[in-house]
This record gives sequence, structure tokens and C-alpha cells, in this order.
Amino acid sequence: MNADELDALYTALCRAMTSVGEAQAPILLARFALLAIVEIADADRLRQLIAAAAEDLPDASGRGHT
Amino acid sequence: MPYPFVPERFSAGLPPLRDGVDRVRHRVAIVGAGPVGYCVAIGLAVHGISSVLIEADDSVCAGSRAICISRRSLEILDRLGALPGFLATGLPWTGGRSFYRDREVLRFAMPNDANQRLPPMLNLAQYHIEQILLDRVRELADRIDLRWQTRLTALEPRADGVRARLATPLGDYALEADWVVAADGGRSTVRESLGLALAGTSYEGRYVIVDVAMPSDRPTERLAFFDPPCNPGSTVLVHKQPQDVWRIDYQLRRDEDAEAAVRPENVLPRVESLLAMIGETADWAPIWISLYRANALTLERYRHGRVLFAGDAAHLVPIFGVRGANSGIDDADNLAWKLAAVLHGHASERLLDTYSEERVAAAKENLGYGAKSTEFMAPPSFAFEWMRTAVLGLAVRHESVRSLINPPQTSPIAYTDSSLSRAAESSPEFETGPAPGSVLVEAPLGTPAPAARGTEAPAAYLTQVLGDHFTLLHFAPDGVLPADLAGIEAGMRACGIRWRTVVLGAGTDEAAAALRALYGAKHGASYLVRPDGHVLARWRRCAADDVRRALAGVLDRVALRIGDG
Ligand SMILES: Cc1cc2nc3c(=O)[nH]c(=O)nc-3n(C[C@H](O)[C@H](O)[C@H](O)COP(=O)(O)OP(=O)(O)OC[C@H]3O[C@@H](n4cnc5c(N)ncnc54)[C@H](O)[C@@H]3O)c2cc1C
Repeated sequence: MNADELDALYTALCRAMTSVGEAQAPILLARFALLAIVEIADADRLRQLIAAAAEDLPDASGRGHT
Repeated sequence: MPYPFVPERFSAGLPPLRDGVDRVRHRVAIVGAGPVGYCVAIGLAVHGISSVLIEADDSVCAGSRAICISRRSLEILDRLGALPGFLATGLPWTGGRSFYRDREVLRFAMPNDANQRLPPMLNLAQYHIEQILLDRVRELADRIDLRWQTRLTALEPRADGVRARLATPLGDYALEADWVVAADGGRSTVRESLGLALAGTSYEGRYVIVDVAMPSDRPTERLAFFDPPCNPGSTVLVHKQPQDVWRIDYQLRRDEDAEAAVRPENVLPRVESLLAMIGETADWAPIWISLYRANALTLERYRHGRVLFAGDAAHLVPIFGVRGANSGIDDADNLAWKLAAVLHGHASERLLDTYSEERVAAAKENLGYGAKSTEFMAPPSFAFEWMRTAVLGLAVRHESVRSLINPPQTSPIAYTDSSLSRAAESSPEFETGPAPGSVLVEAPLGTPAPAARGTEAPAAYLTQVLGDHFTLLHFAPDGVLPADLAGIEAGMRACGIRWRTVVLGAGTDEAAAALRALYGAKHGASYLVRPDGHVLARWRRCAADDVRRALAGVLDRVALRIGDG
């Protein structure tokens, strides 16, 4: 995937989350993650990705509205 | 502390009047002597057209505005004869770094290969930009009638021109002109007079813009800090300007009161803690503080009868993609040769519709990039904020997401869908090289090389052969211009059209071979280039008649006596 495609998908996901609202957005993300899991279908790789996502999580202040 | 620049003040004047109207009817009146108005006036003068340039203020601009000028703009400024001043004053740079909290997450480099003559970006203050352009305007004083302290208060459009109402400290008068270029900035009076409004998005995020005087050897690069320890939750940008002036932009929290936020007692501690964080210990002093809010807005059309809009009067681009002044300079470059062609009687007014078509499309592209940068700098919703937090955190270890942090740098825009490019029948079989609508790809020329614009000396780089004319670049490995093509230049001159035919790619050195390869011209090819440096058409093998037909779609008022025509 090139940088422009990545960027377009990033924005599409942001817009999808914005449109369902903050309360439902985590559910949307969970569903998206599940769909991505069945699509990627490489168990070892997926375990690595789950670990990478959990690694170095910034503390909650990084999520506060500025 | 004042800026290390003292602007010269100019007084108002009144032209000879008859019944309160300027005795001279002008061919072109340009409203607004900002970067864009200056570039339009200079461009027209270079193309042989005189204009009157009307400016409300008594000097070049004050304060902190545009500071980053792109390579594409420098190429245009070169053709306008203003490049030396820019290179002498500005600070060139090629990349930058981004930080998330206390960690570096991105190092970016703008496209900059060994083929380039000019830096990808040059930093200088907008008062420098305007002063250098003003110096050039004064050199062209016989073609540019600049009127300071003259404010347009109303504009009355008419079928064959306009009547403008002007106010000066010496009294008011009216002025008539065949054409008006509205370059009067974001709060355009011309726009208002015609009842037009910009449409698009205005962003919530607010920024404080600060210039400080501070001696430092730090290199010129763009620094971005997301959620930095010195200003948690904010985004901070740092840019170096000439003469030890530093520009610091930081985002306000949503709950902050704008008026209080620009008070020195609130600004100075934030600047101090930023400077401490990046290790600057020298004494510094604030020069300028203002508030900025991003807009992504444009008019639907830039031509309204005899009124042509350019620059901020036509569109407002967020500052984060540094495309405001840069896109305005491109507007001016596109407009000047077209308006000159119409006024010389070479083209019908239709050509000016292509100005609107091409530059509105460019504005939409610029606005898209500007919006992206703005959405990353100040996330417009919780979702953009969560995702940005994800990108910044992951970027430390995962290179694959870093491109999402990189602000899309301003790059030349191609007029791919322009009706001018489509009408000119190019040969489709090129594998590389700039397609119709694109700007030329810069490259060294090797030897032998044609003369650089305005000199007898050989040009070192391709863009130096462009000038106030159409250019036929003929790549001939044997260095021979076919007789049929050799007649074009004289034929064009006979019709009063400025023209230059240039033979390229004949050398046996590496540069010549690389140039042929870059233009897909190993076995010869011809590129027809517009006065603004965009390719109009290209052919594998071209006859004079191909050139005539391509040009006839642009200059539809002249009987071109070349080829079979
Ligand atoms: C904080 C900030 C940072 C920026 N950074 C960048 C950057 O790094 N790079 C970049 O490319 N752009 C940048 N920009 C944008 C850039 O400053 C503008 O896009 C640019 O100045 C537009 O030029 P202009 O000539 O169209 O309009 P202006 O510069 O606004 O000039 C308009 C002129 O018209 C005159 N005028 C107005 N009304 C009248 C009237 N009624 N009669 C007569 N004269 C009139 C004004 O006095 C002024 O001189 C920045 C802007 C801001 C605010």
C-alpha cells in the first residue's frame, strides 16, 4: 500500500468513527479488528500485531481533547 | 522588540482627473499589492502589458505571515526576474523532524535529488517577500503604475470593463479599466462588491503565532512537537527565518480564551518552556504575537466577466501545508500570460476561462492537502484524535505508519484534466517524462547547452531556458533540428508571438544521456511548453503542423503561418 492509499484509509476510518459517535466508536473498532483478523488469517502474525498494539500504550492524557 | 526590518513608507498620489475620473482608461487594474498582486503586475509587464496596481496600505506588510516559499514558486520568481533577491535573503531547507512527547517519531526529507537547481523550500518573512517583489516592480516602473494608500471601496462591473471607486487621503476618484485582477486578499472588497462568497470548511482549532528574536546556530528545518512535555496536549511548530527570527506556532486548548491567550504574560512562559525543552539558552525577545484559525475555502469560479480573482481573494488555504502564498504565486503565473495573450489579440477571452478551470482545480487539490495537515495538527473530532494518538505512539517502532505524520509538502500541481492539455493532441506512447499539464522535470543540461534566459551563457539547468515565451524543446540525439521545425520560430515571430525553439539532448556526456532518459526521448521527442512552464503537448516525432494545431487551441485569434496552415 502506498502512502496516499494508507492516508485515504486512515481518513475513512476516522470518518466512520466520527459518524457513529464516541460511545459507539470502540464497538466499531472492535468489529473492524475482528474483520481484519479473519481477513489477515495468519495466526502468528496476528498475535504479534495484538502484542504490538498493546505495547507502549501512552497514558490516558494523550487521549484528552485539546 | 521590533523586527530587524524597517519598511519604507510611501505617500498617496492622485492621477490627472477629469470629472473625478482618472483621465487614463487602463487595460488592467490590479487590486492589492500583496505577493500575488505584485506577481501579476510583474508577470504582465514581462509579457509586455502595462497595469495600474492599487494598494490600500503605505508599505509592505507587517507581522508574521507566509514564511515558506516552495521550489515551484522559486522557478516562477526566476522567470519574473526576482530570484536573486530571494536566494540572497532566504534560508534554504530540505526536511524536518517530528516528535511525540519526548521521542522523535519522524525524520522527513522533501524531494531533492542531484538534478535540482533550487532548494525544495526557502524560508523568509513575508515582508522580505514583498520587499523583493517591490524592488522588481520599481525596475519595471514604466509598465507598472503602483498607487499607495489607495483603497478600492466599490467595483462596478460593466460589459467591456469595470469602474472602480478609490479612496485616498488626498481625495477620492474613479478609475476605469478593461480588466481587473482582484488580488486584495482574504477580506477581498472586490469579492464583496460582486456579492460573491468563499465556500468550504472553517476549522475550530486555534493557533498562536509568535515570532521571537533569538540568536541560534540550529539548522533550518521544520520541527513539529505533538503533545510535548513543555505544552502537554498541544501541537507546536518551529521554523527558522533569516536574521535570527524564529517562528513558533502552538495550538490552544479548546477551553482557552482567545483574547487571554495572546497576552504576553500567557505566551512568554510557553515559549520559554519550549525553548528550554529544545535546549536553547540564549536570550530571546518576542517580536510578534497573533491568533490564527484555519480555513479551507474557495470561490467556485475565478473569472466573473472582466474580473479575475487570484490568491487569497480567490481561496484561503490552511497554513500548515504552506500553500497560501505559494498557490497564489502559481495563480499569478497562470493568469499573466493568458491575460497578456488576450490583450495582445492572440487569444479570445475563452483562454481566461481556462485560468479559472485550471486554478480552481489546483485550489481544490491544495485545499485537500491543507485540510489533511490541519486535521492532523488539530484533530477535528475524538476519532481523529484517537487515531492520531495511535499513529504517533506506533510510529516510534513501526516505520510503516510514519508517512501519516508527514505533512504533505507542497508539490507542483499538474493540470491533467485541463481542456488546454486535452485539446492538444499528444502522442500517447511515452513511458516517462512530464505528461501534458505537468510542469517540466528539472535536470542539468550537460554540454552543449542552449543559452540561459536573457544571457549568452549556456544554461546549466533545463528550467533556465524557459521565459516569457512558448518553448519547443526538441530532443535530437544528433543535435540537428529538422528544416520543418527550424522554420517555426520565424513563423511565430512574424505573427507577433514570442517563441523559442531549443535543441536538447545532443551531448555525449552523462548529463545529456540522463536528460534524454528522463524525458523518454532516447530516440528524439518534442515537448511544447507554455509560458508558465507547464507542458502543453508532446510528440515522439513532431512536424510543424502538429505544433500549429496544438497552439491554435490556445491562441485562437492568430492565423499561424507555419506547417500546412
Ligand atoms: C500566520 C500565517 C502563516 C502563513 N504561512 C504561509 C507559508 O508559510 N507559506 C505560504 O505560502 N503561505 C502562508 N500563509 C498565507 C499567505 O500569507 C497568504 O496566502 C498570502 O499573503 C496571500 O497573498 P495575497 O497577495 O493573495 O493577499 P495578501 O497578502 O493579503 O495581500 C492583499 C493586499 O491587498 C491589499 N488590499 C486589501 N483590500 C484592499 C482594497 N480594498 N483596496 C486596495 N488594496 C487592498 C492589502 O493591503 C494587501 O496588501 C500564511 C498566512 C498566515 C496568516
